[in-house]
Amino acid sequence: MGNFHHTPGEYDPITYVPHTESHGTKELWRTFWILLGITILDFILYFTMPPGLFRNVVFIFFGVVKAYYIVGAFMHMKNEKVNLAMCILVPTVFIIGLVAGLLYEGNALSTY
Amino acid sequence: MANHNTAAFEEKPMWAGGRSPFNVSYGKLMMWIFLLSDAFTFSSLLVGYGAIRFSFSTAAVKWPDPAAIFNHFPFMHGYFLPLLFVSLMTFILIFSSVTMVLAVEAGHRNSKKEVSKYMFYTVLGGLAFLGCQAWEWSQFIGDGGRLDSNFFGITEQGYRHLSTVSFGDHFHWNEGDRTWGPVPFASLFFIVTGFHGFHVFSGVVINVIIWINTIRGTYEKRGHYEMVEKTGLYWHFVDLVWVFVFTFYYLI
Repeated sequence: MGNFHHTPGEYDPITYVPHTESHGTKELWRTFWILLGITILDFILYFTMPPGLFRNVVFIFFGVVKAYYIVGAFMHMKNEKVNLAMCILVPTVFIIGLVAGLLYEGNALSTY
Repeated sequence: MANHNTAAFEEKPMWAGGRSPFNVSYGKLMMWIFLLSDAFTFSSLLVGYGAIRFSFSTAAVKWPDPAAIFNHFPFMHGYFLPLLFVSLMTFILIFSSVTMVLAVEAGHRNSKKEVSKYMFYTVLGGLAFLGCQAWEWSQFIGDGGRLDSNFFGITEQGYRHLSTVSFGDHFHWNEGDRTWGPVPFASLFFIVTGFHGFHVFSGVVINVIIWINTIRGTYEKRGHYEMVEKTGLYWHFVDLVWVFVFTFYYLI
């Protein structure tokens, strides 16, 4: 970083890297077993539950749970500032709007 | 530049300058914003897939049951094993996510040896996943899946049969109930899994670069392993997308 004149102790937005510490591997392995368990449960439910709306809701719910663990534990979102987490997570509500709108449209198209 | 001591900046007012309000480096913040935009790209593809699939809900030729089509497993030729191979692919990707996060954790302890070890495992996991996907594609193409045609439709009769049979003979339909089906089933399979697979491929390339840099001591000289964290974010995102591809393309 020789291009930047930098005095120690002064904040530089380009080169700033916060000090990080290891939180151990216990939680990471716990997350792995949870993700593996849910995937196995997905597999079992596919063969044991009758196909239909309820099963699909269960699968989507499991998908969201898996997303929570991947983003929260693996991507360390739990350890980030709440402001940063909100900046990234809140805009995803647009996806929910897109899902609602386009499934409605798809349904309407099927009647043609 | 070595790790800054955060405490000195933390005392300053949040938005008055001279500190990072989110307490995050420039690169990591940009990676998060890129991942948000990539999440929109993937959700557009998946939601578009949902809309097209819904538009076939009253069609004469039904949308096929995906797990019934992807029923092959390597070295198990002739057996009907729906969903098993995709579940294995999911496991491979989740496990490579674990080795990635272990590399990040080792980076926090500045352990060059462990970072390079876990980066190597992560690259292996990514390559294994890509190999599985290539195999899956070749099976699908061999069975008659094309970008512009699809031999996996089910007639109304076959669909009614599928929805009434119970576990055991769940997926078996008469050959007469099989017909040319909705073309988007095959084309969207190639587009969605192909776009995800390309993300995995670029992830592997980036992971290899980070792995080489770690071995060469680039991050040891720099004093921190933040680059490992940033690629880790990307790699976990690829895993996250696969969770939803798996849910919407194979389970539902």
